[in-house]
Amino acid sequence: MSTPALRIRGLRKAFPKVIAVDGVDLEVARGEVFGLLGPNGAGKTTTLEIIEGLTEADSGEIEILGLTWENHGQEIRSRIGVQLQSTSLFNKITPREALDLYGSYYPKRRNTSELLALVQLEEKADAYHITLSGGQQQRLALALALVNDPEMVFLDEPTTGLDPQARRSLWDVVRRMKGEGRTVVLTTHYMDEAEALCDRLAIMDRGQVIATGTPASLISDLAMPSVVELTFESTAPDPSAFAARLGQAVEPRADLWEIRTPDPKALLPRLLESAEADSIPFQQVHIRRATLEDVFLQRTGRSLRE
Amino acid sequence: MMLWRQFAMEWRLYSRDRVAMFWTFAFPVLLLLGFGTIFRDGGSPKLSVVKVQAPAPSPRDAAFDQALTELQLKVQSLPKVEAEARWSRGETAAQLESDGEGYRLRLNSYLMAQAGATAGLVNQAWLVAQARMSGSPEPQRIPVQVESPGHKRATNYASFVLPGLLGLNLVSMGLFSVGMVNVSYREKGKFRRLAVTPLPKWVFLLGQVLHRLTVTVVQAAILLLVGRLIFGIQNQGSFLNLLLIMTLGTACFMAFGFALSGFAETSEGYAAISNLVFFPLMMLSGVYFTLDAAPAWLQHTVALMPLAPFIRALRAVFNDGASLAGHGLGLMIVGAWALAAFILAVRRFRWA
Repeated sequence: MSTPALRIRGLRKAFPKVIAVDGVDLEVARGEVFGLLGPNGAGKTTTLEIIEGLTEADSGEIEILGLTWENHGQEIRSRIGVQLQSTSLFNKITPREALDLYGSYYPKRRNTSELLALVQLEEKADAYHITLSGGQQQRLALALALVNDPEMVFLDEPTTGLDPQARRSLWDVVRRMKGEGRTVVLTTHYMDEAEALCDRLAIMDRGQVIATGTPASLISDLAMPSVVELTFESTAPDPSAFAARLGQAVEPRADLWEIRTPDPKALLPRLLESAEADSIPFQQVHIRRATLEDVFLQRTGRSLRE
Repeated sequence: MMLWRQFAMEWRLYSRDRVAMFWTFAFPVLLLLGFGTIFRDGGSPKLSVVKVQAPAPSPRDAAFDQALTELQLKVQSLPKVEAEARWSRGETAAQLESDGEGYRLRLNSYLMAQAGATAGLVNQAWLVAQARMSGSPEPQRIPVQVESPGHKRATNYASFVLPGLLGLNLVSMGLFSVGMVNVSYREKGKFRRLAVTPLPKWVFLLGQVLHRLTVTVVQAAILLLVGRLIFGIQNQGSFLNLLLIMTLGTACFMAFGFALSGFAETSEGYAAISNLVFFPLMMLSGVYFTLDAAPAWLQHTVALMPLAPFIRALRAVFNDGASLAGHGLGLMIVGAWALAAFILAVRRFRWA
């Protein structure tokens, strides 16, 4: 148990038109839920597919459970579980058949009905794959990732396209995996998901890891971990004159202004004073802790959702 | 104006489909260039007829020979024994023999395209000869008999078609459907999930080949049964030999399909590649025309291709009840191709 579950050094992958992964270093401890957070196109999926052995890197080193692809490919494959971003199965295979078939590829396998119960697919166990809903297909993909009782599980955007309730129940499955001692690496572009599920995170942008840490430490390490919001009845007005008077950056967001600060207690009286002087027609004031979204914003100058 | 726009847009979209463009414009030109080059030095590929030498040639024989030559038919006069030996080796397309009063024409069922054309010319020559001799006011035709070189029993023409159908069906299934399905599954990402499991590629591929093999056997059994019940077509040889040949052929052409699918990125690309292989294989198999006029190197190369020995063995067993003894080399060629193609298929196979 001394070696980390995953260790990556200097991973690089270029496609004809874009450098998808540009020098990524990562280390994931055993038993940890580790998240790769970033916008679409940040290089999360490519990184994950290189780790899973689906894509070959241009350069870099990977060690999974202390093993390398060059020397122990088959052993790695039998000890990890993978949920691809989209799992395309044969149209007319049933969940039960798929779990039996894929289970047969491994030396160690889990009981099919137990897996069906885990992802709540018992009722659809004998329906053709093509007749399952998106959420059901996603759950089957998750069950397939667990079919070999893996030590380490990779989930690529596991909740994309799911309704809120389905997302919650998937989160429960991930937490249960952690409870069973499995290491989980997942990608997501939902900051709430990253915050709710992950012990540690790497935030990715343009093929690089721009920050690593626990969700709490990533936020508290920010230069300005608090955000004051002034909300307006409708669209927020242009804040440039107000920002000049306040002597601080003010960012308009739809129907509110955001002002980041290390010290909300000191800012607040000045803020209210200036608003009074300029007769700013704001409705409410909120002070909130920065989120992972703000971490991304402050480090890249862009929003996660762009 | 509307029509013009529609017409112009069709052309524009069509011109962007490189694959369609290739098949429509480039491929026929390539075929023409290929065959033109191959047969350039051979002169016109003359049709030939073997004529069994009469013990004492009559003036009628001489007139007939002259008419045959005038019609550009190559006449090979051979003594009876030699002619029969050549016939049973399957090298003769058409054989002409005097039966006292008239003539009799035997056509080789394995070389029907040439034999049919030859038969037309022979009959025309015969009419010319009769007119010149003017001894026969009522011109007669020469009776034609279609036979296979090693034939034992007289069978109907449909029974010559059936083995060809079995073989062709198997080749096209291997080259077209199996490979195409593979490429399109890969395109749709259906294999990606398998790539992250420890399942070895060769197990996956061999599983598919075995599945197709059994499909082919069932399919052949149905064809044989229907042929027998409706047309009275009988397999003259042993069913075990037939099964062996079919198995070998299926393995070979399935493996071909899988191997080719490793070279195509898209289904359209696969269509192009498989046709590039299929056409030369068909055209040069000796099924459509004889390669007598082709350069020697080509004839030697073609002899090593798998299609001709496979079809030949299939027909020999089915139509003539032959044993496999005379087809060992041919079947070894097919087997070697099967193995080579399978190894290539495993090496080239990609999950994604």
